[in-house]
Amino acid sequence: MSYLLTTLLKKHEVDSIIKDTIDKVLVLRFGRASDAVCLQLDQILSKAVRDVSKFATVALVDVDSEDVQVYVKYFDISLIPSTVFFFNAHHMKMDSGTADHTKWIGAFHRKQDFIDVVEAIFRGAMKGKLIVNCPLPPERIPKYQLLYKDV
Amino acid sequence: MPAGEQSERIGNRIRNPKMTSKTTTNNNENEKKKKKKNEFEFCKVCKLNHNQGLRHKYFPNHNKSLSNFLSRFRNKLTDLRFFLINPKILYPEFASQNRFWCVFCNVDIVELRSSFACANGIRHLASAEHVKNLKHFFWKNGGSVDQLEAFMVSDDDVAKWEKKCAALQNEAVSGSGGCRGAVIGPSSDIHNQPNSGNITSFENVYSDSVKSYPSSNDVLPLQYYTNENQISGLSRVHNAGVLGYNTSVVRLEASCSDENSFALQDFAVDKKSHLSRNKGVLDNGRMLSRESSHHGLQMLTQISSVPAENAGGNIHSGAPPPWFEATEGIQIHSIPVLGGAASHSNMSGKSKKLNPKRVGAAWAERRKIEMEREKRGEAVRNECDPTWLPNFGRVWQSGSRRESRKEFEKEKRKLFNAENQSEIPLKIQPYVSKRMRMEGGGDEVNG
Repeated sequence: MSYLLTTLLKKHEVDSIIKDTIDKVLVLRFGRASDAVCLQLDQILSKAVRDVSKFATVALVDVDSEDVQVYVKYFDISLIPSTVFFFNAHHMKMDSGTADHTKWIGAFHRKQDFIDVVEAIFRGAMKGKLIVNCPLPPERIPKYQLLYKDV
Repeated sequence: MPAGEQSERIGNRIRNPKMTSKTTTNNNENEKKKKKKNEFEFCKVCKLNHNQGLRHKYFPNHNKSLSNFLSRFRNKLTDLRFFLINPKILYPEFASQNRFWCVFCNVDIVELRSSFACANGIRHLASAEHVKNLKHFFWKNGGSVDQLEAFMVSDDDVAKWEKKCAALQNEAVSGSGGCRGAVIGPSSDIHNQPNSGNITSFENVYSDSVKSYPSSNDVLPLQYYTNENQISGLSRVHNAGVLGYNTSVVRLEASCSDENSFALQDFAVDKKSHLSRNKGVLDNGRMLSRESSHHGLQMLTQISSVPAENAGGNIHSGAPPPWFEATEGIQIHSIPVLGGAASHSNMSGKSKKLNPKRVGAAWAERRKIEMEREKRGEAVRNECDPTWLPNFGRVWQSGSRRESRKEFEKEKRKLFNAENQSEIPLKIQPYVSKRMRMEGGGDEVNG
């Protein structure tokens, strides 16, 4: 499934994809190919990548790779899979009622949910908003506990 | 008083049974009316829910809506009226355009397997069922009786129409059977006015050749279809029924030396054709005949149909491709195409200019310019700065995103320093207590 999506292992690859995606949402999934939830998310991403291709690009980042650890720290990634959204090299936040607005943690329940989220991000970005509201109902948003400074 | 009245009434009831029954029925009716008042029903004409019952049809608003409604339906039937007077052979591509929804019977009239344009529609309008529904509708919604005529077809008319159809069929049969590809199907379509001019040229060109064809050819191709999906009328001068449907159409050469190419036209009319009217009309109304198999063999796979280019022009003859002639050639743009083109241009106009207030607009513009330069080879793509980080707002962030990046950098440096420090090897020394040190010193002092 995830062979359909580009997997990034180096920091410069991540940099270049961020810098090269212009006027499209960039969806970066941080995770491992061996993790079950990551696989579920990857499945949905690969199904949806074509549908959103006109306004979004999807890429996977392997969180075990040495080079991208700086990103793992920079983006405060502690739970996987984590999906970070960018638009024109600017990071987009989404308020989905969870503690962490900077990324999407967990998988999506349906392909359509993912498409809705990306669409909301795109619409907000086009209007100039850096943070958007999540269009999904709370039951379809994966819940998790966020640790604060290892507490 | 009330008690007295009541006793009188009761008295009345006992006295006159007929009267009582009337009053009771009156009461019942009143109740019913009251009940009716409370029941909501939907008026198809006004598209409203109302609880006025049968009174609704007398309201002026309803009258207005009714006249609109009926005139709209009448317009939809104008085509049908035309074909009633001048029956034309129906080509499957246009079958989908001949359908309509009968508002009285609430049924969709589709032209499946009909040989002539609007045949099913005409038959439907003449049917007893439809007339019944029509009358019921008029009763319910209060239209005038003289309007009834407009929505049905009398039996005489149908008979006349059928005679004309038969005549048409005979003509078609007796007409030259050939594989001329000149199909002037759309000429039966009165709406494509600009087309007719272009078609006549074709007719002139081909009529002679078509007429002469059968005489030169010993073997006439099959004129009739022998399966159930038959249509009559193959290859006439004007309405040469070389029919394609659904998609693929293989163009028959004008010379038409191959007899078997036009053997049988098998078409399942229930398949909607992708050939739009515009397309079919676009290139001088010449339709591509489909080279279908003989009856009994399987249908060939259909490829997307592209209407033939101009008379005899194709890659074999070295004619210029259609897109070169798009500007000067036949300007048959019917309204939907124009509308489509206009809306597309509008849309593209809209989206061309992106919102300047969108996120990262300035960055995007700069980046685009950079990429252009890189493409042209002016600027060398600088290898990614290993310390470059995107604009990111951290989770427990307070302040702007730049602040968060600075914080991160600070943290990174701290971490780095900590690591460095830990690398300095610790010198391990044995523990010497103070007393021992003192004594050692004292010994030296004393001794």
